Amino acid sequence: MIQQLIFGIVTGSIIALGAIGLSMIYDILDLVNFAHGDFMTLGAYLTFLFNVSLNLNLILAAALGIILTGVISLILDKIMWKKLRDKGAGSITLLITAIGLALVIRNLIVFQWGGSNVGFDLPLSQNLNFHGIMISTSGVLTVVVAALLMIALDLILRKTKIGKAMRALSDNKNLARITGINVDNIILWTWGIGTSFAAVGGVLYGLNTVIRPDMGWFLLLPIFAAVILGGIGNPYGAMVGGLIIGISQEMSTIILPSSYKIAVSFVILILVMLIKPEGIFGEK
Amino acid sequence: MAIGISYIISLLILFGIYAIFALGLNLEWGFTGILNFGHVAFFGIGAYSTVILNQMGVPIYIAIVAGIIIAGLFGVLVALPAMRLRGDYFAIVTIGFSEIVRYFMLNEEWLTGGPLGLRDFDIPLSFVPSQYYNIAMLILVLALLALTYLILKALINSPWGRVLKSIREDEDVSKALGKNVFRYKIQSIALGSAIAGLAGILLAFNHKYLNPNYYMPLITFYAWIIVILGGSGNNKGTILGALIFWTFMSLTRFSPGYLPISSTDLGALRMVIIGLLLIVLMMYKPEGLLGNKEELKLDI
Repeated sequence: MIQQLIFGIVTGSIIALGAIGLSMIYDILDLVNFAHGDFMTLGAYLTFLFNVSLNLNLILAAALGIILTGVISLILDKIMWKKLRDKGAGSITLLITAIGLALVIRNLIVFQWGGSNVGFDLPLSQNLNFHGIMISTSGVLTVVVAALLMIALDLILRKTKIGKAMRALSDNKNLARITGINVDNIILWTWGIGTSFAAVGGVLYGLNTVIRPDMGWFLLLPIFAAVILGGIGNPYGAMVGGLIIGISQEMSTIILPSSYKIAVSFVILILVMLIKPEGIFGEK
Repeated sequence: MAIGISYIISLLILFGIYAIFALGLNLEWGFTGILNFGHVAFFGIGAYSTVILNQMGVPIYIAIVAGIIIAGLFGVLVALPAMRLRGDYFAIVTIGFSEIVRYFMLNEEWLTGGPLGLRDFDIPLSFVPSQYYNIAMLILVLALLALTYLILKALINSPWGRVLKSIREDEDVSKALGKNVFRYKIQSIALGSAIAGLAGILLAFNHKYLNPNYYMPLITFYAWIIVILGGSGNNKGTILGALIFWTFMSLTRFSPGYLPISSTDLGALRMVIIGLLLIVLMMYKPEGLLGNKEELKLDI
């Protein structure tokens, strides 16, 4: 029971890192980013590239992989999303485009690195054992990194000009525009932060398990559940939602076959949408 | 050239099956504006229902009709609660539903055979000598495609179809005119899902085998690409889209012998091209090849 809870917190931290970006992008760009999970995968593979193929140490490789993923999302905004925005494309056009992008990213990864599992170059790590409860060092690292990033995001949102502008844009787009906020600039920040957080989540997922081309796709649906649970556009809600989804998925293995884990998050997702579609922290 | 002809026949069978499948989606999306991203669920439910019923002793032709009806009923079951949601939420819920269905197929071995799937079921046209079986199957599939097309054509040109289109264009106007928008949408998804069920049943007969891997979310996206490429809201376009899509899929499947590239790589590149096609269509030609730009508003 406590063991499942611990697994749940680790999984939940990864889901939360994905959910923050998805939620912000959903809100500020009106885009249901079906490619968001694939950015997580991309972050993990780019880190793998620097770490294993180019022999850099893991921390440096992760930093490069995560930054590069963020930069790619900015380039994609320039060549795709901005053009669609300027044409006045609505949310359904954007959603279908995102599905196309997801197919492109995932399959370029398969093309480059093959369809089988890969892993980082890691020293063999010892599991910590507290009276029969196992905690892996990568699990501890995951929770610590996720918590630090969330604190950092909170500071950005509350203390910096960019963060305040983001919140203003999220509250009321038209009002934010007429007060002279540079919307294009904020959108780039949203992509950069959202996607690099996703990449961190992808790298941490790779540390805890393996790296696979379809990992982001399978993370995406629990992430949607976390975003909707927390209320779209609410990064704090996304964090809590991620933890709730992660813990419920792992706890469900006590009574259900573990292959139903992801189905559990769908059921939560569907229930929230039907009962309180604005999310548990959202206001109508 | 005997191999070439049998290859073309099997390609045409798949084209026909996916054209039927995509016509179901086009009714929901192209004519009613319903954003169903779980279309593959009904494809699978139809096939599994028919095969399981047949294995329980139900004669195959009755099992086919039952499978189609069950797929339609599941469409209603999903839509009844979910249709109240916004379009993008509906998309997420339906994709989630299709994954739940697939997990169920994978895990409930007592009913679905689990990852090994199901075989040993009756197949229609079994009286046809085996060397002509594929041709008979092709004729059956194309006849059912024609039937589906004609039924949809009649429905869409009826007052019922005009209400659907009005819902797609502007729900509030249809409401103001006293139409029960909710009921029309449920009817559209029921019929669309039943059509998907029929296509799924045909696919099971074509493979003589059923397996949860036939029902990955990717298959839903195949249908979307077919519909968008051909032009949303145009059934001829959907059929053209299915033809182009399967020709492309099989031409690139042909090539390993001619290109210095492995089949995994080729499969990946094929999906990259399909993804790029979707992006380019959305950016520059969202109405597709035969769609009507004036009529179709993508965003409702």
